[in-house]
Amino acid sequence: MKVGRKRKGKAEIPTASMSDIAFLLIVFFMATTKFDVKEGIKIVLPAAAPEGSQQAETIQLGEDKMTRLQIEADGTIAVNKEAPREIENHELDNIIMKKLQENNDMIFKVITDRDAEYSQMIRVVDRLKSQRAEKISLSTN
Amino acid sequence: MAKIQKGKQNREAFIPTSSMSDIAFLLLLFFMVSTVFVQEKKFWVERDRWPRADTIERIPRNNTTTIYVMKDETILIDDVPTKIESEEDVMIANALIAKKEENPEIVVCFRTDRETKYGAMSDVMRQLQDAETLVVAFEAQKQH
Repeated sequence: MKVGRKRKGKAEIPTASMSDIAFLLIVFFMATTKFDVKEGIKIVLPAAAPEGSQQAETIQLGEDKMTRLQIEADGTIAVNKEAPREIENHELDNIIMKKLQENNDMIFKVITDRDAEYSQMIRVVDRLKSQRAEKISLSTN
Repeated sequence: MAKIQKGKQNREAFIPTSSMSDIAFLLLLFFMVSTVFVQEKKFWVERDRWPRADTIERIPRNNTTTIYVMKDETILIDDVPTKIESEEDVMIANALIAKKEENPEIVVCFRTDRETKYGAMSDVMRQLQDAETLVVAFEAQKQH
């Protein structure tokens, strides 16, 4: 009868590839991590008028110097005294471009209804910025 | 008399790599422990809820403070949720005055849900003017 001999081989866990796994994990996390980047439309607000001086410093501006863009609650836009209507981006671009050709220093007053969506105001300001309008005023009614 | 070396020593050069995995796992653990996920906050405006725009520019982070305006008009400044109930409410203005004292070049970033009513934004902006923090940025997503 054959008697089996006990083999005294050394038990070992292969750890050579451990660092590969760890680095792979690090690379995966580095590649998939999204940093919280700040991107947006930058605007400088006008300073608040000192108390009691609002009436004295009011200046009346004609349509040749100022364009009113009134955003209604339903998203329609009224340009100056026109009736409010749906205006697509390209049409809005054309209106702004025309106004800037008339007067390069044109002031655009964006009046947004309190119940209008914020994205509507951003859309109009974005179009103004894309046409390089410098003087933008934000207000509400 | 100089010693003459006997032949070349053929010892194998090797870099010990046994501790490499320890280093890598340490790095991994460090990043895992130190990472803070902002989504854990209760109030948050997801990126896909931001408005879309073409003319967005990058804003350096070091001078910014973020105001979140949720769809239900809850305003979050310094992780404190608030609502503007009346015109006399100056909580946001006070917080911004303190921030401006620390850093006069502060830029206020609005992270607002695109469906928020403009009235809420208008109230916040009035307080910004009161606090004389006039440089603002409306965070937006690039239009495709």
